[in-house]
Amino acid sequence: MLNQKLEMFIDDRYDDFQDNSEEHGSNKVIVRNVNVYYGDIQAIIDVSMIIKEKTVTALIGPSGCGKSTLLRCFDRMNDEITGCRTKGKIIWRGNDILDKKVDPVALRHKVGMVFQKPNPFPKSIYDNVAFGPKIHGIKGKRLDDIVENSIKQAALWEDVKDRLGESALKLSGGQQQRLCIARTLAIDPEVILFDEPCSALDPISTAKIEALIRELKKDYTIIIVTHNMQQAARISDCTAFFLMGELIEFDKTSKIFENPKDKKTEDYITGRFG
Amino acid sequence: MIRKEYIEELDKLKRDVLKMGKLAKDAASNSIKALIERDAELAKRVLNENAVIDDLEFDIENRCMKLIALQQPMAVDLRVIGTCIKIITDFDRISDVGGDIAEVVLRVGDEPFVKPLIDIPRMAEITQKMIDDCLEAFSKENIEILEDFSKRDDIVDALYDQIRRELITIMIERPKTISNASHLTFVALYLERIGDHTCNIASRIIYMVTGVKKKLG
Repeated sequence: MLNQKLEMFIDDRYDDFQDNSEEHGSNKVIVRNVNVYYGDIQAIIDVSMIIKEKTVTALIGPSGCGKSTLLRCFDRMNDEITGCRTKGKIIWRGNDILDKKVDPVALRHKVGMVFQKPNPFPKSIYDNVAFGPKIHGIKGKRLDDIVENSIKQAALWEDVKDRLGESALKLSGGQQQRLCIARTLAIDPEVILFDEPCSALDPISTAKIEALIRELKKDYTIIIVTHNMQQAARISDCTAFFLMGELIEFDKTSKIFENPKDKKTEDYITGRFG
Repeated sequence: MIRKEYIEELDKLKRDVLKMGKLAKDAASNSIKALIERDAELAKRVLNENAVIDDLEFDIENRCMKLIALQQPMAVDLRVIGTCIKIITDFDRISDVGGDIAEVVLRVGDEPFVKPLIDIPRMAEITQKMIDDCLEAFSKENIEILEDFSKRDDIVDALYDQIRRELITIMIERPKTISNASHLTFVALYLERIGDHTCNIASRIIYMVTGVKKKLG
């Protein structure tokens, strides 16, 4: 139902604008002059960028630079933080998703998020993935199919297909994180936000998540916050470097890591500061 | 400073590449000096020093690989290391070419040359200046002095063609000079190669400084 609600407002407005400007006629995520404040403190300063559809965009920068704050704008998670105010626009499929008229719960149906620490529910593997679709009234064979496909897409099926009824908490950290990705995929999002998804994982699990992200970008638009520069270089198509709330440089990842334009970007990625 | 040891290691790497470049240039210039002055001792020294340059090349390459594996260099650091790995091969080739000229000196001995050495010293002068300019550009990250490298390489190529034609004519006219003239032809060819190697080096230094790949020569 939530999905329908979102589809309705998206489709109505999308149809209205799809023949107009490029801005309204594509599935790019267009960030226009976004400012975010925590009380008197400005965490994001006038950020504008265009995130292309079905690409991986990495947000990098030192702690406190605003990258996670910006990430939370895409699914309006900042709404949950007392005293947090957001100005500007994020236009996606013809809608300003920061507009108060947009239902954030419906929005999160289309913009999924995977967090730093794997956070499976204390339920079975099956129930974790089925949780979202069940809320939307899906059951029976269709639910089984969604669960199976989502777990397969998250590259976890071979690990868990014989123990779907077991507690998700019995899985390893890397498996739990892939389960969380499967849980996100089960609600059929179009954009997936990753907030340092590998920071709590070992190198093998990290490699699996990275391979998965590369695979997922065929179908989803992915925005990832990472402190791991090599990870950003390995998996992203575009990289945005933030410093003290400002977007310093946004370009193709190969350009950022081989020949950045800005001295501040160069100093950060070469480890001169940060 | 964050990553102090890493920065120091990068600086040391650059200093050693410069050192290797200077040794390569010495090999090139001393071999020509030995040829002009018929100095067999100097020619032998050039050949002996080749081993030092070979060792330095291995050492620098190993350190580059270690830096890449352990420090994950990015941006300008990555370009510096990539450039070092590439240009040490050209410096090694230049020193090898110096060794080849030194061997010609030892083979020819005191036998007089079929023609006076006029254009070969000119080629040597131009190519040695090109090596010097590469070293300065690398050390000071000043790429302006590399701008006319293609033109300078054209002059070296033209001189080589001229020397080769001249020597072929002499060989046709006086077949007894073939051995002696062939040695000089090879020396001219070696110098022409040095010009090509300096163009490769210059092209890499431009990439190191600007991030833009530009073919020279």
